[in-house]
Amino acid sequence: MPSPHHQVAQRTGSTLLAAEVTLSAVCCLAVTIIWAATGGAFWPLWVWSSLALPIALQLAWRRASAQSPGPRRRLAIQGWLSGVLAGYCVIVWAIAGFGYFWPVFPAVGLAMAFALHAVLYSPRQTDLSARVDELTRTRRGALDVQSAELRRIERDLHDGAQARLVALTMQLGRAEARLEDRPETAELIRQAREEATAAVAELRDLARGIAPPVLADRGLVAAVEGLAQRSGIDTTVESKLTQRLAPVVESAAYFVTAEALTNAVKHAPGASVRIAVRRAGPRLVVEVADNGPGGADPRGGGLSGLRQRVEALDGSLNVDSPEGIGTTIRAVLPCES
Amino acid sequence: MRVVIAEDSVLLREGIVALLQEYDIEVVAQADDGEGLLRIVAGHKPDLAIVDVRLPPTFTDEGIRAALEARRRFPDLSVLVLSQYVEPVYTGELLASGESGVGYLLKERVGEVRSFLDAVHRVAGGGTALDREVIASLVRAQAGKGDEPLAELTPRERETLSLIAQGRTNAAIARELVITLGAVEKHVTNIFGKLDLPATDDDHRRVLAVLAYLGAGTKLAP
Repeated sequence: MPSPHHQVAQRTGSTLLAAEVTLSAVCCLAVTIIWAATGGAFWPLWVWSSLALPIALQLAWRRASAQSPGPRRRLAIQGWLSGVLAGYCVIVWAIAGFGYFWPVFPAVGLAMAFALHAVLYSPRQTDLSARVDELTRTRRGALDVQSAELRRIERDLHDGAQARLVALTMQLGRAEARLEDRPETAELIRQAREEATAAVAELRDLARGIAPPVLADRGLVAAVEGLAQRSGIDTTVESKLTQRLAPVVESAAYFVTAEALTNAVKHAPGASVRIAVRRAGPRLVVEVADNGPGGADPRGGGLSGLRQRVEALDGSLNVDSPEGIGTTIRAVLPCES
Repeated sequence: MRVVIAEDSVLLREGIVALLQEYDIEVVAQADDGEGLLRIVAGHKPDLAIVDVRLPPTFTDEGIRAALEARRRFPDLSVLVLSQYVEPVYTGELLASGESGVGYLLKERVGEVRSFLDAVHRVAGGGTALDREVIASLVRAQAGKGDEPLAELTPRERETLSLIAQGRTNAAIARELVITLGAVEKHVTNIFGKLDLPATDDDHRRVLAVLAYLGAGTKLAP
């Protein structure tokens, strides 16, 4: 659908063109009457052809612009305008009395320029760029599906196995409370309850590793603050980010932060960590910096997994870890929202 | 005591209701979503609302939002939130949401019948009950900052500090740690001295002082 703005522009163009055609017709009629009154060679042909040229060029431009924007339209515009100019040369040659056929030279020149343009923007090139667009779109689609699927697994765990185990701990607890006069049996049930509680905790950690609930509920900053809180290392979180981003972008940024924090706790105990999350135009920048010993291997297992995850979104991951100064991990992710 | 429950899982809801009834706590109404919670709170004026974090229709944090809204409309309402996961942002919002009783516990704590009932009574009476996981993460975060007074506490004093932060009374702490009431009082005095907190006999104010020290007032509040 053309935009309303586009439609208005087109209507204005049509009105101007109609005015121009009318004015030209009046001029042509006037010069023809003058010629009829004065006689001589039929010179008004020159006026007719000259006035017709701009109109023909405009009509050709409109015809070619009707295509959707892209290399093909540019090619069509050049083709139509070249055709009109070559035709005009032939008319001039004819009016001038069919002498030496000079229009062949401009025609060949225009044709060569058109051919060069056609080679540079061949339909193959167009097809390739369309293919790249399609692949980018489908890859993103696949990642979105995967992210939704992980969220569904987390929810199934929450409503299924986790809920059943929680219900089990409740029942065991009730049984334990009723057996106060039989301490040995009560102790046995208490142990069973503690096992079930440990299983619930393990499932919870597993679910958090798959798709942290707070990330879906409250977004990236709340989830990152939760990470910082749990990390057990001095961490500050700086962020002015208020809007929500695509789930797949939020989750990539979250896991970058989680891995970077885990690394900091492991390799830089006692250091302090600064996490910054911000939007920079169409990009999300996540930076985790510690003032630990540095010297991290950017190709280490955790980091290379993260890099793949970020690059699948057309983002980039940088690790800057000079010895004795600290480690900064910086992920830049495109985010259109 | 009159209690309402909002929990969408029938299994868990029935488990909690059965437990409470066994100990003579009256469950006057039940709901399975946030809207329902607001309706039954308005209709029954309960002493306590027990609320699940994740409720329909969104299955995200509907329960927290409904609980905060209920507290905004009925400032005297005490709320005990049950969840399958601990999130500082939720506990922070609850603590900041009013003066009446507030609690946030992992669901599996319901199985620890004695301390769960203790928490129910405490919250209904205007007190606080925070899950030990919440407190543990607060203590860890504070210790990670290189907090020196905190590092000076003995292991027993640290345990006591965690129990105070959870909202327990001295008697409950004595029972939990299997020590005498006198020993608990001594630990409490030592802790408040080392952390340079104003001594108080008021249980509620004591919890708030410790939570504030652990950064729950500033870091957790939205």
